[in-house]
Amino acid sequence: MTDVSMSRQGRRVLFRPGTVLKFVVLALLIALIVLPLFRTVLFTLQPDIIKAWSDVLTGRLSTNLFYKPLGNTLIIGVVVATGCVLLGGFLAWLVVMTNVPFRRTIGVMATLPFMIPSFAAALAWGTLFRNDRIGGQVGWLEGLGLDIPNWLAWGMAPTLIVLTLHYFSLAFTIIAAALATVNSDLVEAAQIAGAKGRRILMGIVLPVTTPALVAAGSLCFAGAVSNFATPALLGLPVRMQTLSTRLFGMIEVGQVGRGYVIGILLVLISGAFLWAGNRIVSGRRSYATITGKGGRAKRFDLRRARWPLFMGAMLILMASTVVPVIVLIASSLAPSSANLFSNWTAHYWTGLSNPSFAQGVPGIIYNADIVRALTVTLALGVAVALTGMTVGLLASYTTARFREGWASAAITQISFLPLLVPGIAFGAAYIAYLGAPIGPLPALYGTFALLVIAGTAYLLPFSVQTGRAVIQQVGGELEESARITGAGFFRRLVSITVPLAIRGLSAGGILIFVKIIRDLSLVVLLFTPTMPVLSVLAYRYASEGFGQFANAITVVILVISITATLIANRLQAKSQPWLKD
Amino acid sequence: MFKKATCFGAIGILLSAAAFADDHMDSMSAEELLPLAQEEGAVIVYSFTSRIGKVEAAFEKAYPGIDLQGFDISSTEQIARLTAEAQAGVTNADVIYVSDTPVVLKALLETGIIASYVPPRVADRVPAEFQSPLLAQRLSTKVLMYNEEANPNGAPIDSLWDLTREEWAGRVVMVDPLQRGDYLDLMTEIVLRSDEMAAAYEAEFGQPIDLDGAASAGERFIIDLFANDVILVGSTDDVNAAVGALGQENPPVGFTSYSDRRDNEDEGWALQVANDVAPAPGIIFPAVVALAAKPNNPAAARLVIDFLMGDETETGGPGLAPFYVAGDYVTRTDIPPHPDAVPLDAFTAWRIAPAETAKIRAEIGDLVLTLQ
Repeated sequence: MTDVSMSRQGRRVLFRPGTVLKFVVLALLIALIVLPLFRTVLFTLQPDIIKAWSDVLTGRLSTNLFYKPLGNTLIIGVVVATGCVLLGGFLAWLVVMTNVPFRRTIGVMATLPFMIPSFAAALAWGTLFRNDRIGGQVGWLEGLGLDIPNWLAWGMAPTLIVLTLHYFSLAFTIIAAALATVNSDLVEAAQIAGAKGRRILMGIVLPVTTPALVAAGSLCFAGAVSNFATPALLGLPVRMQTLSTRLFGMIEVGQVGRGYVIGILLVLISGAFLWAGNRIVSGRRSYATITGKGGRAKRFDLRRARWPLFMGAMLILMASTVVPVIVLIASSLAPSSANLFSNWTAHYWTGLSNPSFAQGVPGIIYNADIVRALTVTLALGVAVALTGMTVGLLASYTTARFREGWASAAITQISFLPLLVPGIAFGAAYIAYLGAPIGPLPALYGTFALLVIAGTAYLLPFSVQTGRAVIQQVGGELEESARITGAGFFRRLVSITVPLAIRGLSAGGILIFVKIIRDLSLVVLLFTPTMPVLSVLAYRYASEGFGQFANAITVVILVISITATLIANRLQAKSQPWLKD
Repeated sequence: MFKKATCFGAIGILLSAAAFADDHMDSMSAEELLPLAQEEGAVIVYSFTSRIGKVEAAFEKAYPGIDLQGFDISSTEQIARLTAEAQAGVTNADVIYVSDTPVVLKALLETGIIASYVPPRVADRVPAEFQSPLLAQRLSTKVLMYNEEANPNGAPIDSLWDLTREEWAGRVVMVDPLQRGDYLDLMTEIVLRSDEMAAAYEAEFGQPIDLDGAASAGERFIIDLFANDVILVGSTDDVNAAVGALGQENPPVGFTSYSDRRDNEDEGWALQVANDVAPAPGIIFPAVVALAAKPNNPAAARLVIDFLMGDETETGGPGLAPFYVAGDYVTRTDIPPHPDAVPLDAFTAWRIAPAETAKIRAEIGDLVLTLQ
């Protein structure tokens, strides 16, 4: 008798909406993310390595090893995230909700900076602002006779500026997608009631886009704290260390234990910050704004502010896109890295092998490896974008529809983890995890599948977060009515949720494609002789002092990224009401 | 029971046969290895320098039918990669060409991931110190370089201790020793040579060194160097550009690779080594070649190492050509020194002893850490 009632109760728990889904998603995320990372933690607990914990946290070295870099890291995270949300939000608002001139141009340009590697932006900063502190060539501004102080040339200030200009497009993409779905009924009602633009912005637009703002801020925060290239290039000459430069250095000099401990702490601390952000969102009951009816509200008229705001937007966009691209292209043409704008040659692109030039390395179009690497890279980009968005959709759908319970919270937290793990550590964890056979499963080392699985797991934060911001706004009522008429879970997902959320999902897909094709840190350990990718080729050139070849390949990657975005924009045109006039 | 014993016996015989085959190969000449290597058909090399590309072309020309797949992977990455591959039970590379020996000995040789091999053909022409524990193909450097254009009469300093003087504050450049292993090796060597550093101090300042709490003269130097605002950058190319760029009135000095001088013309640099600096301008360290512990292509792997050690022509032929440049020192005693470089016996840089370096390297890393 008791048995029957128990099983009945058990069944009720089991079939409570979403329970099965939650656990399927959770199991998937654990297999993709938690298990490989768990191995890293176990590694630091080995008897001869466990001392690294006390070295990092309490020893005489801890100040320089951990606490000072931690302080810098948190400043960077908070300031960059805030700056990105403000900049990205401002541009998204201009493009989606106002009648600023050339909205389409601004909209396209605002998505570009994220595709330019952050080291190119840091390099560009140096080209302009470098002073005579480290000797060699001074930057363009000092060349004009200006005296650039150290704080502007090196360290925290330029790092913050460069990272903000790099990551704000991430915030723009997410916020613009969310703004475009703000229910026109609300805005029109407010307009009829006589509310002014500022009132509508503060009272309606901001509150309903909060999930997107928090998602954008979180992604920018996590990206900024784990960024390595920019603080390494701009911070080192004034000895500014962050947790990521520290981590890289520790692994580089063979103190892997300390490196992993710093990495784990980086994950925990950033996790705590992001958890706090997540709390703010989940405290609210509902953000549903795309409902069964309603159309577009008319745009805010900026009146006399149209052109000044346009100029402001263009200034930001020129600084973050055009300048780094020019530096990147110039450095793929200039034989001397110190004189970017003289003695240009196309050798690095189209030259045949010439023993007296660049040690006989031919231009990249004659490099046999390039074509193969290009194919593998593109296939990898598409495959990871598809698998990533599938898992991302499942996870974000689950957490948005069934937000109660620890399982949903766990899904959200776990899906964020990879963002905080340095790619090289993630790659190493994955080789150990899937490199050898597991039971009946074959070893995946050296296969395309390993690259795809690791890439999917590594970029899940992007797919889940972008999906989540959009799905939370798709009203439950449509799905509700479909369920009443008897549509099953997959039917509802495919016929209702996906079509309504496709914009945000494609935006996420593009982000993932772009991220994976230019990613180096993850694939550098995973690539094998049979699976070359472009970024590894670029790195091989750069590490041997052939920066020009590396930059030429980077330009190729950039062109692919931009083309992908433009094609996606074209395909999406029908579902991008914010770009219509 | 009987069955089991037979089984173990069979495994034992198989294992020893495999070991015998490998030992047997160690004494084979290149001619004897060739047919076996051609049967294997391919060989994979991890190399810390992109010059492996040239070796690949030359090797395939010399030994048609054997596909050499060379991969340019930094020393640190090789160590991480080989360790991860070993944990996964995978052997990918047959030949490992790597620097960073203090870490390599501990992480790869002692753990049995790689194994030593010396081609019998050159065994009598490589000094014993470069054959054990791993075969060194050539020596590379991290030494003090200056700008020749701005200092036409020679190096602007004559002692490492000059670098701690006020006039060189903020004008000494090097890569962060906590980001590049070879720079940490340099710091470590300065401490290991504390006696020489103490003597050089007295020669420079005319009084015995006051350690002032430091454990040794070498540590005192490192502390003073950092207190004098030494500038840390991310790569040797940054050092080269800072020190070497033409047209500077008051260029800094810095620690970098002597062989980067070969890029002076291409890059617009005027790098020159400060060879007469007391007690030494820096370190000279080996680049080693080794076999994977269980190579998939054991014969071809040995043939590659034989090829990398150079042929019987005067400067070692195509296998050694990419490494026969000014500033790199080939270990074979019968190859004449490169005419454009300071000869090895006149080069005053310290030879590192990787095993000694490995002992206190982490400790020196900690010291540098407290100074940042």
